Amino acid sequence: MEKQSQPDLEQNEQDQPTRALTDSLQQKLDYLATLRQAITAGDDRLIYELIDGDHYHQALLNEEPNATRNAQVNLITDVHPAISHYLSTKLIDYLAHEYPFFYYEEIQLGEFQIYFGNWWDRRRFGKLNVLKVAFEFSQEEFNKLQQTFELAASHKRFNTDGIQRISADNDQLQALIDAQGDRDHQKDDLRQQLKENGQRNSLFDSGRIKEERQQIIDQLTKLADEDEQANNAHATMKDNEAKILTLSKEDTILAYEKQAIETSFKSFENFNERNRSLYVDYLTTLIGKAQVNADGE
Amino acid sequence: MLMENETKTAQKIDSATLSTHGKLSMFNEGLKSGLANGQKFTELMDQLIDTTDGETLLKAARALSDFKLDSAYVTFPHQYQNADYYLIFMSRLLSMHDDEHAVLNTRTHSESLYHVFNELSDDYTFLYQIVDNENGGAYYHEQTTGENLFYVHLERRLLRFNSRAFTNLFINKLLLKGTGVDQINTVLATLINFGHYLRDDFGFNVDFNILDVDNAAKYELREANLTGEVVDKLFVTAAQHDYMLQNSPAGHGAEIQLPGSLTIDIFDGGKPTEAKWVLTVHDPDQRVSWFDVLLHFDFIRDWYLENIDSLEIKADPLVFA
Repeated sequence: MEKQSQPDLEQNEQDQPTRALTDSLQQKLDYLATLRQAITAGDDRLIYELIDGDHYHQALLNEEPNATRNAQVNLITDVHPAISHYLSTKLIDYLAHEYPFFYYEEIQLGEFQIYFGNWWDRRRFGKLNVLKVAFEFSQEEFNKLQQTFELAASHKRFNTDGIQRISADNDQLQALIDAQGDRDHQKDDLRQQLKENGQRNSLFDSGRIKEERQQIIDQLTKLADEDEQANNAHATMKDNEAKILTLSKEDTILAYEKQAIETSFKSFENFNERNRSLYVDYLTTLIGKAQVNADGE
Repeated sequence: MLMENETKTAQKIDSATLSTHGKLSMFNEGLKSGLANGQKFTELMDQLIDTTDGETLLKAARALSDFKLDSAYVTFPHQYQNADYYLIFMSRLLSMHDDEHAVLNTRTHSESLYHVFNELSDDYTFLYQIVDNENGGAYYHEQTTGENLFYVHLERRLLRFNSRAFTNLFINKLLLKGTGVDQINTVLATLINFGHYLRDDFGFNVDFNILDVDNAAKYELREANLTGEVVDKLFVTAAQHDYMLQNSPAGHGAEIQLPGSLTIDIFDGGKPTEAKWVLTVHDPDQRVSWFDVLLHFDFIRDWYLENIDSLEIKADPLVFA
């Protein structure tokens, strides 16, 4: 304690650069002390202001950018995961209320994975950036959801076309299997024709006979190909059914996601807008709470 | 047994070596023991059909279920099969508890018995089939379908229900061909009650299997290491019927809430090294079994039947291979 007064006593004797240095170090100490105190006091609003003051002032106070507000933030980058972990408690409480369909898993300190919904095989939907108060959705998953909303206008689901295409494939394969008897008849006929063709022997017409022969052989080859396809059809159909199940499942999940968003936000546009203003909304809530607490005291 | 040995010995000794008196005496002894055996039989029969004491009833049934009435000297032209005494025992026990749904009939022109249920058509007749190996015991068997609904061993006091037979008979043959759930439930109730009476009156070890209403019952699936695809199918079909399959709080698996505060879970209840997928059914009054769920919820029943190779509830493998 006594030592603390010494720098003041000595200040006059220091040269200017040294003074600047001690001032600078003092600012760092002050910054860290304030942050430490904010954490002890549970003042999340202040913590947000300290970890990115420039963004805070621009977003909440409509002030011009000013990089000097963030002069000290590099001091704490190594403890960002711990700060993120600390801030997540209140943030996730808030989000649970605003976005009841999101669930979070802390996959490592301060890093939060988002799950959409609590239904079977729910999707991992990206990450929650606690320090920035922002969702970082998986682009692929988000795009699927966006398309789901767009397709709803034409009463389609994300995989409606895909499922129809595969179902049609299966119908065709089934038809191929069902037509085995017809093909067998045709092959018998063609073989008979081939035999007759071979017995015909004309000096003048040999070109035409050859051509006819080739046509019959082509048809037989085509039928043999179809037989082959029919033989493999059962396995293909089973694969296709598995594909349809995967697509139906995805459609079901997307339908639940769409429904969840509509229940909480009415529309996809509102949802996106809310996401964009999440930082301001949340910090405003924290300011409001601080106000209530201050008034209460 | 003793009587049998005696007659065997008697046959061995060549009749020529015996005096006439000896022969007559042996003949007479053979008759006496044969008649005594018959006498013993009728005493047991008296007990089986008239006693009001449970243990006496069980004892008589046990003795009669492997009683050999004929001997070398005395045979009886009119006899019931050993299996019939199981039926009589079951009917007597049920009627001691005022359950008369299983009607005991005799065939015309022969001494043989079978059960019918008023709730089912007479096409379905039930009787016991004795297991012809060292294990012993008997199956309660439906004749038209050949299904063995349960296995009972009176000596070892054991009863095992069989999910496959119940599914095949009551769902595939009856429910899906138009028999009402109420009628099916009446028959089920009688069979389940029989299990309760055996357990409560005589301390039988009873596995109700797919019919177990206890919330703690874990119905083991045939495919212990269930593929996610089967659960995916339930997820999709449930959504089509406005039910949501959710992540299971019980571990790796899924849960579905049905009307009547009914919760179905399907999850891996095994160890990390060895999967063991099970189904559970929870309801506040512990009155609902997985079989009841199959009877009442069409989409779950369809899913179960379509994936029966994976989902079939395992019955005791010792008696239902």
